[in-house]
Amino acid sequence: MTEETIKTKFSEPIFNRSHGRLLMPETRYWPTRMWKSPWRLPTYRRGAAVMAGILSGGAAAAWLLGEAGPRVAPLYSLAERYALQQGVPLFLVATVWTLIKAAVLLAVPLVNALFAVWWERKISAHMQSRMGPMYVGWWHGALQTVADGIKLFIKEDIVPECADKFVHLLAPVVVIIPAIVAFAPIPFGRELVYADLDIGTVYVFAVSGVSVMGIIMAGWSSGNKFSLLGGLRSAAQLVSYELPRTFSVIPVIMLAGTLNLSAIAGLQAGYWGGLLPRWFIFYPVVGQVAFAVFLIASVAETNRIPFDIPEAESELVAGFNTEYSGMKFALFFLSEFAYVLLSCLLMAAFFFGGGQPPLPFLGFLPSWAWFLAKTLTLIFCFLWFRWTFPRFRVDRLMNFNWKFLLPVSLLNIAAAGVLIWLLS
Amino acid sequence: MKNYLSFVFEAFWNTLKGLWLTLKVLFLPAITVQYPTEKIVPYPRFRGMPAYDSEACIACGMCVRACPSRCIALANAVSSEGKRMPKIAWYTLDYGRCNFCGLCEESCPTKPKAVWHSLDYEAVFGTREEMVRRWKRGDDLWGTAHNSADAQFAAVTDQIHIQDVPVRK
Repeated sequence: MTEETIKTKFSEPIFNRSHGRLLMPETRYWPTRMWKSPWRLPTYRRGAAVMAGILSGGAAAAWLLGEAGPRVAPLYSLAERYALQQGVPLFLVATVWTLIKAAVLLAVPLVNALFAVWWERKISAHMQSRMGPMYVGWWHGALQTVADGIKLFIKEDIVPECADKFVHLLAPVVVIIPAIVAFAPIPFGRELVYADLDIGTVYVFAVSGVSVMGIIMAGWSSGNKFSLLGGLRSAAQLVSYELPRTFSVIPVIMLAGTLNLSAIAGLQAGYWGGLLPRWFIFYPVVGQVAFAVFLIASVAETNRIPFDIPEAESELVAGFNTEYSGMKFALFFLSEFAYVLLSCLLMAAFFFGGGQPPLPFLGFLPSWAWFLAKTLTLIFCFLWFRWTFPRFRVDRLMNFNWKFLLPVSLLNIAAAGVLIWLLS
Repeated sequence: MKNYLSFVFEAFWNTLKGLWLTLKVLFLPAITVQYPTEKIVPYPRFRGMPAYDSEACIACGMCVRACPSRCIALANAVSSEGKRMPKIAWYTLDYGRCNFCGLCEESCPTKPKAVWHSLDYEAVFGTREEMVRRWKRGDDLWGTAHNSADAQFAAVTDQIHIQDVPVRK
């Protein structure tokens, strides 16, 4: 057999594409080479284009929808007029109106959890150079959380033999109810607030503090030493981090002169020199320090890494969640994400001017869109911290709070006094 | 006081450095290969599933002697005068015993090689019998396997191959 016949019989390798897409030869090298010039990869360019499309599409949708808050009051007066015509008593209209508003408000933490879990998984995956969920849903595992939710629904609800059955049942309820109720005075945009309380700031901190009780109940009633340890650690941590968290807001309240959340957000309208927004984070030193302390304390309050001592998987086998399964576990999870959203909304209102656009010419977008954008950016920060930092040790956690955050936040209050004196 | 402040500053700075690293990696492409739908092309010298070309083989038996797992066997073709010819009557290779060392390919004296490692890494067998392949002259690169149900030798049909034609070296 001659060389020619062999050559005609065996050509260059033809890769069999019927069983999947073969990657380009350069992708088989370890990513250092690929990472030097990611823009050369067509998939990377396509992904960037999709991201830009999503952002601009969201902005266009927000621009088309326009301001939502001022449309609510005419809707209510319309319903009132209709009720007067039909002879329906007005208190009934008010009740139904409140119930509708409450239902909308209840949807906020639920939708947030649906979205945030997916986002957390995708962002954590990409920070570790993975891809995360890719198959459920039509696009990049978009329905993964729905699938997880269905899984949690059909799971068996296990109550341990030695658990205190009633308290075990009650604990997730005690955790979740304050997490939902605390959303009441939070503004989601201009005039877009469930209950415009004058004492909103205090209300939010007071109500969200009740959740600690539920976590202790969960730890105690599980009848498990790890759960109890988790519950106790959580109580110690949450109670102590509540102090710097509240103190860091006091400079903002001093500068604003009100406890009403939407009023605080509204006071930050306008620009210094026509460019730098009058947000509290841009007040020299005081604003930045207050924001840093509030951010750190909020991460600790929501039991997230690096402050997730109460639910440390490696030390406490997930702490107070250990003996919970199915929807009870889901409620704990839901409340965690609800608190993340609550902290981010608070931060957006306190330090980032609520619905005010960052630059004057960006005012064409409605205030709720800016509020949403700021909140999502802050939620991203929470996820970013989670996948960057290792967990604190218990004693260092307490040291950090009592010896660093608390004095700093107290000093910051004094500095805010000096700043107000200088400004006046 | 100065020590304390520099400690605080350093801790803060290192925190920011860690955050910057994860942010950089977030915007770099993931290295995950979504296996069933995406496949990596192996390096040219990758030792995948051995392929055999019955036409190029001269039935010298070097691979039989070189194989440490003793998974190769062959028989010479015999001419009508009763003389052994440099062609095979049959050739078998037991993929179940092969340890993919490449010694058969190394010892093969023909050019191009009659037995060589393809780049195919998706060798999946439904039965044990499929692992033992037999070639007669004119068979394709992956040979035939005995099927005890009908006592016939037949090509393994549901085998997945990354390559339609393996690389010759």
